[in-house]
Amino acid sequence: MSFLDLAALSIHDVKNRLAALAARAEVKGDSETLNDALRAAAELSRLLACYKADAGQLGAQIDANCPAELVTDLVAENRPLAGQEVKVDGEHLPDLWFYDDNLVRMVLANALQNALRFTRQHVTFRVSASADWLEFGITDDGDGYPDELLADPMRSSSMSHQGVGIGLYLAHKVAALHRNHGLAGSVELHNDGGAVFTLRLPK
Amino acid sequence: MAIVTSYSNKKFLILDDMPEMRSTLRAQVGSLGCQNVAVSGTVKEALEQVQNGKFDVILCDYYLGPTTDGQHFLEYLRSRNIISRSTLFIMITAEKTYEKVVSAAECLPDDYLLKPFTAETLQVRLERLLEKKSRMAKIDALQDKGQWADVIKACDEMIATPDRYLIDAMRVRGNALLACGRNAEAAKFYTEALAMRSMPWATLGLARAQHAQGDVETCKETLNVLIAESPQFLSAYDLLGRAHLESGQADDALKVLDQACLIAPSSIARNRAIAKVAEGQSDFARVELALSQVVKKTRNSPLRETADIARLGNALTELGEPDQAIALIEEAKKNFKNDLSDPHLASIEALAQKKAGRPELAGKALARALENQHGALPQEVSMSLAKACLANGQQDAGEKILKSIVQTHPDSTAVHALVTDVMREHGSADRAQALIDNGVKEVIALNNEAVRRGKAGQLGEAATMLAEAAHRLPGNVQIVSNAAFALLLDIYTNGLDSAKLRDAEQFENGVRSLNAEHPKLADIAELRRRIRGKFAQANAESEAR
Repeated sequence: MSFLDLAALSIHDVKNRLAALAARAEVKGDSETLNDALRAAAELSRLLACYKADAGQLGAQIDANCPAELVTDLVAENRPLAGQEVKVDGEHLPDLWFYDDNLVRMVLANALQNALRFTRQHVTFRVSASADWLEFGITDDGDGYPDELLADPMRSSSMSHQGVGIGLYLAHKVAALHRNHGLAGSVELHNDGGAVFTLRLPK
Repeated sequence: MAIVTSYSNKKFLILDDMPEMRSTLRAQVGSLGCQNVAVSGTVKEALEQVQNGKFDVILCDYYLGPTTDGQHFLEYLRSRNIISRSTLFIMITAEKTYEKVVSAAECLPDDYLLKPFTAETLQVRLERLLEKKSRMAKIDALQDKGQWADVIKACDEMIATPDRYLIDAMRVRGNALLACGRNAEAAKFYTEALAMRSMPWATLGLARAQHAQGDVETCKETLNVLIAESPQFLSAYDLLGRAHLESGQADDALKVLDQACLIAPSSIARNRAIAKVAEGQSDFARVELALSQVVKKTRNSPLRETADIARLGNALTELGEPDQAIALIEEAKKNFKNDLSDPHLASIEALAQKKAGRPELAGKALARALENQHGALPQEVSMSLAKACLANGQQDAGEKILKSIVQTHPDSTAVHALVTDVMREHGSADRAQALIDNGVKEVIALNNEAVRRGKAGQLGEAATMLAEAAHRLPGNVQIVSNAAFALLLDIYTNGLDSAKLRDAEQFENGVRSLNAEHPKLADIAELRRRIRGKFAQANAESEAR
């Protein structure tokens, strides 16, 4: 049995336990425990996805999906702490866009959670579409990305910095899997009064 | 969400092998206000529940213990039309990227839900999916009834005013075009869709259209490109395997199916396909390898099929292990009482017992097989039965069955070659050619005679002759369709007759199950329409008088 198979089996088991934990917390109205259980499960999924990406086994299953639903769900699932707010900026979105819903949610949930962790008050979740591109932008008003991360976002030493985790690494891998008519998805990080995370997906 | 569905009148089924997850799911569904919730821990229980009542939503865990999974359950339900398209099937899984392999579109769940999730997430998903079901309700109902022309029209309306269900409507449209044989139109439709962007379902559709138009080589090229781009897309391997087989490249077919098995090792359908190809190649070691996996997975599950046991038993017998075959068959007979009277299984048992040196037991098994051959047996079963007869000294009975196989397929040289092989194996190769020639001649003579009588105005005689032949050879599509047509022509000319109408309808259904796109079906439908017109008019006239 390969490591991947073993990992998938134990992740399955751990997730069942987390699901039971989350359900008990939900019944009791214990939203803190509920959120921790959900975050822990999401982290495990990212870990497995990263491993698969490195092994060249992460395939994107690109289908037609509804970007507005994705934004609504992510905001609903990642509620800010007291004193913080998430502002959604996206109108006139197309009904459909082509991407792997599961992977893109994984990447954006991570970016949104990072922004909520480092922000002082305001996080903006921006979505816009042109003829060829769908663009998600997540901006916070924290201290911004450290310079060494901006210099080399794929380097693993800078990834552990500030606990940004494996999410950014995965984001690049996932973006690159989205290709159409010679265009490929991309992730861009920069600072503009805080950290700005941008994911661009071709139609 | 603007509209919040009321769940109090919706019926839910939950299937999960873990008790704790079942109660979690039940609590979550309950919190939506739903009271009508059935819960199962096994596929067997769930299957009974599904067969006893219609559910609006099925929540099924992907992982159902070591021997089966939610995908097998779904494939079983869909392939046997146990659930209609209006039932929402949601697969619950821990890891989508690991477990989701793309199978045929008709065997995909409506959605995947990743564990863990909150009751709120479940509700949001259900709202969306139920909204989609209601938007697609008309199209789904038409699809369930197989009214493809109307499906296409309904899809056209949706495509004309595109919304978020545009791609869903396009997928159904393409499928409907193929289902009613409008293959050139389908090819054009898929090509246009692909100009928009590459989409695996559209590439597969194009390949299916090319295949249906008989352009096997182009179809193969299309599928090779698709597999290179989307290696997870299992339906592509299935069709490519078939295409190789049809162009006589069984080795290539096996290679492709093996490749698919690497991606989805647990696939029952693919292992069955491998076994079928290998059997055609007389590669019984391969048959044994593939089918023992299938049997292991389905042994005590309602998803089992008796034919798997029979084929595996046959392979074991051919490999010189008749006692293993007998043990396998005995186990099946002990656990499933329907298997006791299954003619396929009894034929293989007769062959195995004979090979194991127990002619008496072989004779008993053969007698059971012959007693239970009711109606039209599949060709494979008839062939096994014929072999069992020949192996056990019942030369006449065996040859009679072989002759009816020939007469069922009078034009198929492949079937004739199989018959010759069987006779050669049993030392009567010299009689094979005569048996085939006579069988074919009889069928031709019968058809000619029926046509002659028909032309001579003896419509009743022609119809009776053909009906008699159709009862004897229910798998011969030409005879059965001619019988239906002749009966209706007789009725049209000589007046209504309820027995003849019943026979005609039975034959018409027979043709449809043999080949739903048989050209004669259109002629039969037209004749029916004329009969209705003529006799409705006659009724009206007699009432007026």
